[in-house]
Parts: sequence; structure tokens; C-alpha cells
Amino acid sequence: MFLDYGWLIPVIPFAAFLVVSFLPRRYLGWEDGCGIAIAGAGGAFILSMLVVWDVVNGNILTTASPRYTWLVVGSYEITFGVWIDQLTAVMLVVISVVGTLVVIYSGGYMHEEGAGRKRYYAEIMLFISVMYGLVLSDNYLQMFIFWELVGLCSYLLIGFWYEKPSAASAAKRAFIVTRVGDIMFMAGIIILFKYVGQANPGSDPLHFGTLFQQGANSILEQGWISQNMLTLATALIFGGAIGKSAQFPLHEWLPDAMEGPTTVSALIHAATMVKAGVYLTARSFPLLVQTPDTLIFVAAIGGITALLAATTALAANDIKRVLAYSTISQLGYMILALGAGGILVIKAQSTSGYDAAMFHLMNHGFFKALLFLCAGSVIHAVATNDMRQMGGLRKVMPITSITMLIGSLAIAGIPPLSGFWSKDEVLSAVYSAGRFDWVFFVIWAMGVATAFLTAFYMFRMWFLTFAGEKRSEYHAHESPKIMTVPLMLLAALALTSGFVLFIGTGFGSFMGSSIESLIEHAAEAGTPLDLLVEILTSWLTYVALGLATIGILIAYRIYYMPGFDRAVFAKGVPGWFQRTLENRWYISKFYDDFAYNVVYGFSKLADLFDRYVIDGIVNGFAYLGANMGAVIRKAQSGNVQRYTSLIVVGIILLLVFVLYIVPWGGW
Amino acid sequence: MIPIMYWLILSLLLFTVGAYGVLSRKNAIVVLMSIEIMLNAANINFVAFSSYSSVLHPGSPEPAALGQVFALFSIAIAAAEVAVGLAIFLVVYRRYKTIDVDKINILRW
Repeated sequence: MFLDYGWLIPVIPFAAFLVVSFLPRRYLGWEDGCGIAIAGAGGAFILSMLVVWDVVNGNILTTASPRYTWLVVGSYEITFGVWIDQLTAVMLVVISVVGTLVVIYSGGYMHEEGAGRKRYYAEIMLFISVMYGLVLSDNYLQMFIFWELVGLCSYLLIGFWYEKPSAASAAKRAFIVTRVGDIMFMAGIIILFKYVGQANPGSDPLHFGTLFQQGANSILEQGWISQNMLTLATALIFGGAIGKSAQFPLHEWLPDAMEGPTTVSALIHAATMVKAGVYLTARSFPLLVQTPDTLIFVAAIGGITALLAATTALAANDIKRVLAYSTISQLGYMILALGAGGILVIKAQSTSGYDAAMFHLMNHGFFKALLFLCAGSVIHAVATNDMRQMGGLRKVMPITSITMLIGSLAIAGIPPLSGFWSKDEVLSAVYSAGRFDWVFFVIWAMGVATAFLTAFYMFRMWFLTFAGEKRSEYHAHESPKIMTVPLMLLAALALTSGFVLFIGTGFGSFMGSSIESLIEHAAEAGTPLDLLVEILTSWLTYVALGLATIGILIAYRIYYMPGFDRAVFAKGVPGWFQRTLENRWYISKFYDDFAYNVVYGFSKLADLFDRYVIDGIVNGFAYLGANMGAVIRKAQSGNVQRYTSLIVVGIILLLVFVLYIVPWGGW
Repeated sequence: MIPIMYWLILSLLLFTVGAYGVLSRKNAIVVLMSIEIMLNAANINFVAFSSYSSVLHPGSPEPAALGQVFALFSIAIAAAEVAVGLAIFLVVYRRYKTIDVDKINILRW
């Protein structure tokens, strides 16, 4: 019932964007547009919740959605419509909850920005609007358009303090690096359009309804596209996800994106936009399960990213960078769960990997937004990002420290917080995929190692920030209510969102029903109670939990217990390893060197070619003309009789030519 | 009737004399006179071809005296041209005190 109004969800924040952008500042009211922005985000939140309620009650709006022709190319029609299923619902929950709370929190956090706030609220409203548009899209082209708009908003918001050179360059970096992924995404769309469109004239070849048919109607079985081409297309579409979700090797833009305001980091670079890549992968699941090779690639990228980012986080000293790397690492978890989930769908007729990925996405959205907003609260108070300058904040910022502790426990995977349940689901899905391909055992081991490292670096961060003694001069104070209330709400969600796994028929069966068409013979679904028993009795649970606990204890020993010489611990780590981590595995440096030596070198070559060859030719012609003129003009002697004699000679030659040469030549 | 070739040879001789005068004489007035001779050579051709048209194209209808009319036009234009040319030479002479065509050569590169 509310599904029919789903298209209004992006319209509400967009209206707020227009109002904030075009109304003069004196009419914007409280905090230069924060009130309007809260109204926009809140309106979208209420409508989203109504739509989600419809979906929870089993109504979905997919192929039946009204579609409007947007573009006619030859015999093809590109239509725009909405697509609301369980996957969309999960994304709507994350975007609306986090988006609304972040906008409210911004009311306090951005207070000192002055005139910049108008721009800030306009951009954040545009971002929320296009993010809703992205998850509501019902075809790849519509999705791609919103995908690019999301990238644009990210660029604008990272570069919010554009007068700071590091922010301007981080914004450019984010834009360019994600562009690499976007090009791949576009290439994947073009392949699908070409093959499916050619086989199917007069249709809308990019509509999900066309592409996602299964069984005998699938685009592969109908012979519209070859297996190899489909594998290429899905791999390229996943390439888009690599860029947007900051997966290895395109992950280095995300830590740099921390140059933006912390609220932006929370909203875009932790809770929503980077999830767009995961969402794209999940949305493309009906295609991915037809290409097992791509699925292995997806899972491997996820595993590598999770471990690589977690190790890099160990050596980071900037509080936001630690969180950025943990975001990359957790996104890796989601991606590897999707890769494993695809294999499980094919081989075991089980949706557990897919469910686990989306479950982790939702939980991560809440606790990572919480962690970032806590970090924002800390930065607001002490005016530095460097954890080495902090310490002892627990006493002055009790609410922030407790909510951040909850967030840290959640991400570390300590029961009964949300992260425990979803991380456990992810790892058990990957482990069960190991039955079909040994690669998944390796990836599982990487995931478990990541769980250990995550617990360690999160508590390293917490102890460095909140525990111990003050390490520099600052006058910290607890943040105002407008900032702490969103923190408390998010902390409550981080505590409880894991339990949706057991509500009703369980989150798993809810998510699974969005891809039920992929399953031929669904296994007997266990009740939520069976699932709980299974989690509590599996040794996998205790391995991950035990390692996480050890990680926290090591962090406690090193960074909290007084009198412990950190040098002793550091001595155990070889110097080159420490340096490698501090330099982020030299990946960033590699890109810089690559850009400097190869790209800049090539540019220099092109410059030389332009300067000497192209300009040489052009200048040569000019020189020739000028000098020939200097010679030939001497014929203009001013002597009338010389002209006359030349005319006479000319006429004689012409006559000889016409009368003798022309007939003789046979013309 | 005198064959047409004689008229044409007369015309050619006159034209050559005129052309030689134009190319070799230094005095602008003599050059102008030579041009008049060349024009008259052309006029002779006009009249000759016109008079001999029935011989050259037997059987064709008797033409109007087109060639003679052209010759008259040519004479009229030549008269006008001489008037303009002499006026220019007069002005040139007042300015440079000479009408030697070798010396009047400042209109150049």
C-alpha cells in the first residue's frame, strides 16, 4: 500500500536540497538549514519505515512497478521505475536511520562552520536523496546515474573544507579512484545492453526483471549471452563495487576521504555510500550465481581486503583513519560473504551467505555510524585527530566513551551485541562454502584472523583515546545533547540490531525470500531457535569469540595497564613490518609512484610530441609561407613592361599547351 | 576576292608591331600608341571574319554585320581609353616630371 509511494522517498530530501540551496540564508532558520534538512531526512525516514513495514508484511514491488520511458534508442526503450524488495528494505532502514541521526547530530557538530553550513546541508540532502534513488532503481542505467551522483556528493563533501589543500586533493583522489571502478561498471552495463538488447529488440535490456530471470528463462539459457561474456560482465560490474566499496586494490581513497567533516565520514564513508558497492553485488546476485568464476573472485577480493585493511589499522594513529580501515575491513567481510553465499546458492541451495552479508551490512551501518559520530564528538572536544594527543577522556566525556565502548564491542564481535551475530553468520557461511572449494577455507582463515585484529585495534583505539592520563593540553567537555542523543540511539541499535536474526521467522528467511527464485529446492528452514542453538553449539563461534577476546586482552595489556613498556611489544615486531604497516603496505606510495613515473612520464612524452612534432609541423608551414613570400614578392618589381612581357610569354605558353600538348596527350 | 589569310597576316604583323612597341618603348605615350595599333589589329580580324563568314560557312544564312559592330564598339572604347590614359600620364608627369615607364616603378613590394 505504501509501496506505491516509494518513489516519493528520494523526492522529499531532494525538495529539501532545493530549498536549502536556493533560499537566501536569512530564511533558512535554525543552523542555516539544519531544521529544513532534518525535516527532509525525517520525512524520508517516516516514509521509508512505512514502506519497510509493507515489505516485512510480505508485499514487494518489483516487475509490477509502473515504469516511465526515459530514453528511446533505436528499438530499445530505457524505462525508469522503482524496485522494492527485501534487499531494498534493508538499505532503506540503514540509510534512513543513519541519515536522519547524522543530520540531527550535524546540528551540533557543524555549529562553528558559519556560512558553510548552507552548502553542507544542501549537499548532505542531495546525497541522501540520490542514495535513496540508488537503492530504489529498477534497472542498471538508472542505478548507474544515481551511482555517479552519489560519487559526486562524496567528492563535494570530502572537499567541504576545500581551502585546505589536503582536503581538496583527497576529494580529487576519491573521485578519480572510484571513477576507475565506475568505468568498469559502465563497461559491464554496456556488455549486458549489447547482448541482451540484440537478442531482444524492443525490450528494456537493462531492467532487472529482464536480466534476473532464472532457470529456463535466464539470459544464459535463452542463449542471449555466452557464459564467458556473462562472466566478464559480472566481473566488470563487481569492479564498480570494488571502487565504491573501497575493496583492494582500489581501497586507498577511503582513508584519505577522512579529510571531510566527521559527520560526512559517518554517513557516506562508513554507513551508507560505501555500502552501495555491497548493495550492487547483492543486487546482481541473480547474475552472479550464473558465473561461479566471478564468485570466487568476489570472495577472494573480500578476504584480501578484510585482512589487509585490518593490518593497516594496527599502525594508524589518526582516530578516523583507524575507523576508515576498519570500515574497509568490514566491507571486505560483506563482500566475501556474498562471494561465498553465491557458491552456497549454487551448490547447497542455501541463502545463508547472502543473508549474512546483508545482516552484517545493516549492523555495520549502525555501529560504524556510532563509532564515527563518537570520534566526531571526541574531535569536536579536543580539536585533534591524533590519538597520541588524547587519553583520559573517559572522565570528561562519559556518554561518548560509553557509547564508543558499545560500538567497539559490537565491531569486535562480543555477544550479545550486533556485530557478534552477523560476524558469526559471515564466518560460518564462508566455512560451509569450504566444502565446495578449498579456497573458502583460506578465506575463512583470513576472516578469523581479521576478527582477532579487529578486536585488537578497536580496543587499542579506545584505550588510547579514553583511558589512562591526558597526554596533551586540551580543554575537553562533553558534547551538547543534540550530539549525544543520536549517539545513544545508535548505541541502542548497536546493542539490539543483532536480535532481528531471531524476530519472527528470522532475518535469514526475510532476506532469503528476495532471492528465493534462485533456489530450486529450498532446504527445510530452521526456526530462529534452532539457529540460536546452532550458533551456541558450533565450535566456529568459539574460535572467533576466543580470538576476539584475546585481541581485546592484548590491547588492554599494552595500552591500558600502567607501567607496561610498549617498546617491549614493539621489539617483538620486526622494524620492516612496522614500517610497512605505517606506510599502508606501500600501496598508496605505489599509486603515487605509478602516477608520477608512468602517467606523468607518458604525459611528458606526449608534451614533447606536441611541442616538437605537432608544433614543428605547424610552425614549419608558417615559416615556409613567410620565406617563400619573401622570395616571390621580388617578382612584383613595379616595372609595367616586365609584367607585360610575362603576360605575353604566359599567353604563348598557354597557346602552345592548348594547341599542341593537349591534342598530342590525347585529352 | 582577296583570300582571308592576307587579312590575317596583316593583322598579325600589326599586332606584333604593337606588342613590340609596348614591350620596348620607354615613353608612355608611345606605349599607348602601340596599344592602339594592337587594338586595330584585333579590329581587322573582327571585320575580316565577319565579311568572309559566307565563304567560311557555306550554306549558312547571311549574318548581320556583327563583326563590324564590334569593331565600332572597340574603336569607341579605345578612344575612351586613350582619354583616360593621357589624363593619367599628365598627372604622372606633373608629379614626377617624367613619363618614362622604367622610372615610374614605386608601386611594388
